[in-house]
Parts: sequence; C-alpha cells; structure tokens
Amino acid sequence: MSLAAEAFVSQLAAAEPWPENATLYQPLKEDQILLSDHASSLAVQAYLRMCGLPVQVLCRVNSEFMSPSGKIPFIHVGNQVVSELGPIVQFTKAKGHSLSDGLDDVQRAEMKAYMELVNNMLLTAELYIQWCDDATAAEISRPRYSSPYSWPLSKILAYQKQWEVRRKMNAIGWGGKTLQQVYEDVSQCCQALSQRLGMQPYFFNKQPTELDALVFGHLFTILTTRLTSSELAERVKSYSNLLSFCRRIEQTYFEDKSS
Amino acid sequence: MAAPDELFCWEGDWGLPSVSTDCLVVLAYAQFAGAPLKLRKICNPWRSPSGSLPALKTNQKETLSRPADIIIHLRKQKFNADYDLSAKEGADSLAFISLMEEKLTPALIYTFWVEPKNYVDVTRRWYAEHMTFPLNFFLPGRMQSRQLEKLRLLRGDESLEAGEELEKELYCDAAECMNLLSQRLGSQKFFFGDSPSSLDAYVFGHLAPILKCKLPNGKLQQHLKSLDNLTNFCSDILLLYFPRDGRESSGPKAPPQPDGGDFDNVPNKRRKQLLSALVALGAMLSYALLTGMVSILHVQQGALEEPPDLEPIESHQHEEQGGS
Repeated sequence: MSLAAEAFVSQLAAAEPWPENATLYQPLKEDQILLSDHASSLAVQAYLRMCGLPVQVLCRVNSEFMSPSGKIPFIHVGNQVVSELGPIVQFTKAKGHSLSDGLDDVQRAEMKAYMELVNNMLLTAELYIQWCDDATAAEISRPRYSSPYSWPLSKILAYQKQWEVRRKMNAIGWGGKTLQQVYEDVSQCCQALSQRLGMQPYFFNKQPTELDALVFGHLFTILTTRLTSSELAERVKSYSNLLSFCRRIEQTYFEDKSS
Repeated sequence: MAAPDELFCWEGDWGLPSVSTDCLVVLAYAQFAGAPLKLRKICNPWRSPSGSLPALKTNQKETLSRPADIIIHLRKQKFNADYDLSAKEGADSLAFISLMEEKLTPALIYTFWVEPKNYVDVTRRWYAEHMTFPLNFFLPGRMQSRQLEKLRLLRGDESLEAGEELEKELYCDAAECMNLLSQRLGSQKFFFGDSPSSLDAYVFGHLAPILKCKLPNGKLQQHLKSLDNLTNFCSDILLLYFPRDGRESSGPKAPPQPDGGDFDNVPNKRRKQLLSALVALGAMLSYALLTGMVSILHVQQGALEEPPDLEPIESHQHEEQGGS
C-alpha cells in the first residue's frame, strides 16, 4: 500500500500550492515548552521562513499527542499533517520549494551528515540535560512539562516521560555519562560546526539551507533559554562565528515580524 | 605503558575479524593507528570485564566499552590515526559518524536482530553455535530482546514489530546513507586521502558485516554491492589490515562450512559429556536423597552401634523403602 500511497501523496502535494492558512503546532510557549522542543520548533519555523512560506504558529497544550510521530513540531497544510524537520523538508520539496538544489552531491552528503551531527549530539545533549540532570528535571522539566494537567496526572505523565528518555539514554550508551562529559560533547559539536562554518555567512556560502535552519534553531534556543546553570549557553558562546551566525539569521528572517 | 592493553572482542566469521560492528570499529582503528593490543577473541560476553563486548582493559585496570571512549583512550596513548587531519576534516568525521549512527545503525539492528528470517537462520544460529553450553540457550534470545528494545527506543515507538513498512523505512534511510558515503568517498582510497582515519574505521565497521554476511533477506547487501567504491573500500581494508581473517574465509572455510560445524564442536564435546554425566549423577543422587537413602545411611551407622535385637526393625525399614 505504502509505495502507491506515497506516490499519490507526493503528487497531491505537488499539485496544490502552499495555502495561506498553513499552521504549525507546538506546546505553550510561556509555560510548557521545553528546550529541546523549542529548538526543533524554531528550526522548522526558520526553515519555512527561509523558503518564504507563510505559517501561523499555534500553541496547544496537547500538541505532542496531536503529532503523527509524537514529536514536536508538526505542520498542518491543506489536508495534510507532517511532523519534524526532515519530513517537512521533503514535503516542501514535493511542492517545489527547496533550499538545497544548488548543492552538488558531495555538498549534499555533507549537509545531511552535519544535520545528523546536530540531531545526534546537540539534541541528545539537550534531552540529557533536561531529563537526566536531577536539578534541571526537578526544577524545570517536570513542572513545565506537566503544567497543563492537574495533580495525579501531572506527576504520572512527567515521570513517564522522564523514564522514557532515561531508557533511551541507556540504550544509546549515554546513561553512564556525567553532566561534564555531556557538556564536553556539546563543545565538541560546536567546535565542529564552527570549523565547518568558518568565515562564511551560511554553511554552504551565500544561500541558507535546511542545515542553517536546524543549527540556528538549536543554538539560538540554547543561547536564549534560562536553565538551572548557564554552562550550556557558555559553551556555545565561546564560538564567536556561531554567535554572529545566529544573529545574522535572526535579523534576516525574524526581525521584521517579531519586533 | 608496560603491559599492553587487553581488548576483548567477539570472534570473527564470514571473512571478518569480528562479527560485531562495534568490535570491528575498534579493531580497525587499532590497526590503522598501529596500537599494540593484546587481543582476546571470545564468544562469551560474561567473560569480558564489563559484561559486554567490545571492552578494553587498560593497564591501569580501567575498563572501557564504548567504541568512542576506546578510541579516545588509544589517542591519548599516542596511537592517533587522525593526526594528519585538519580541523575541518575532523569536523567532517564527526558529522559522518553521526550520520551513520542515526541512519545506518537502526537498519543494521533490524537486519541482523529483528527481521525474523535473518535472525533465526543466521544471527541466532551463529551465536548459539559459538557460545558455550548453558549460555547458548538463553543469551542469543536475551541479546535479541535488548536489540529490539534499543530499536524501539531509537524510533520512539513502543510497540514496534518487524514488518514491511518499518523495513522499507529503515532500509530507505540506510540506502540513502550509503549513497551519501559513496558520494563523499568518490574515487579516493580512504575518506581523507591516502591514509585511513577513525571515520574509515567507523564506515568499515558498519558496512563490512552487511557486505560479508549472507543473509536470507539481503536487500542492504544488494544495495551496497551496487556502490562499487564502497565495496572496494571494505575489501581493500580487509586485505590490507586483516589479511589473515580474509584468507581464512575465501580459502578452505567457505565450502566445508556445513560439516565443519561438527568439527568445531569437538573441543566442546568433552566438556559437554562431562557436564551431562555430572547432571545425571546429580539427578540420581538427589532422587536417592529424596526417596530416603539418607535414612538408610543413618540406620547403617546405627547398626554398627546399636545392639543386634533391633535388626528386624531395620530390615523392615529396608522393605518399606523398597516398596515405596
């Protein structure tokens, strides 16, 4: 069923232009959303803005459970629902909007590899700090995650989530790491990104790609979110070219609407 | 630096120095960097100091088991295969290693441990044949449930099962990852010029099992074989850095594999005979104890001390036991 259905869906997607009423769903911005979800959501918003596709951001308490993959964010376009950056990039590509068409094969391979680097190290580190560092989990993650729910349910859901993330960390071999080692990993990842970026305005020179959107989403969120300790942000701040990269994207794509 | 570090690895087969990806990564890196390690190839994870394989026991009696940690340790000992890399190349290595961990590892777990036919015909059989007697009954199954659990957590899907849809998704990601690696490698001998680095070790560790293991469901292998430069890359590394393992398989080992299995069991046979004899003896003894042989012993002792007029009662007891 799947192959035929997929071909059908992509044909449909190609046939319809991007509608004006496209929406992006994420958890409540002020009280609920966590660092990692906010980073992923910001990455998708940055990507859509780079493509010039209008999207309205809606905050819903249950967006995690509305999403088809259980992950945040997801977009609702016409009669279709797509979640996470990777599938959204493919979806917009089917509609004829792509940022990576100008790249050659090697560059595209490198772009994909660096995107996985961000997912594999930055995103995992964010999850680790949120749920496996006891201070952060108790003071920030659990209360925020469960803020919309009343007493017994809030505890159950928060601990369930924490338990799930911790099991994942154990499965990928991060369970035995200390917080310091995780910060080291973040530094290593930023070092790699900083090296790759060099003095260029974007990762692949003049034009932004989905990699730029993803890196911006994560770094900008890390820089602007208050946690129990500022260590994470400090690690990112030591790379000046990454800082100016974030500022450049913020000014180019977010300033006009957010101000 | 006095005694060399000890590296514990899964045994090899199919022309590979080890059957596990993580072990292959470490072995390849150690070869590339020329690190003198005392290699212990075993088939019993319980004999490894960390309880899992690979494991590196350093001469400071530390135990490391993540490939990344082992490589960092070797690097600190001045066995650095990445010495010549520029900072940007180091960054690229990190990125491509992440790419493989995100896209190729789930497909590898699926193809070796979750796909039912592959698991039953090849993976479980291999581990069951190579493990020692009591372990071979439950360890392969336990390893499988752990791998399935890992795949579920990686995919974030609690009720994930083997199926066409999942297979297609995972293999699609893996095929894309292989294409990207192939494009990055191009016509070079190694990923960064003429000498191998840690990225080459990772790529080799992930691709060599796919290339060398004959699985009933071999879609990944088919795809890999269509990428000539990656196939040559793997066989070149095998030829250059693991000449002994490569030759073993290509030569005499391939044809007599089916009946060779019986010969392999000969060293274990003695142990198995001994064990079964012990088990039988144990069963007989415990039966004897349960049915009251102990009381006879008591009575016999008593018979030596007691006066002879108790004799009839004793013999009566004997009869009772015989009857019951």
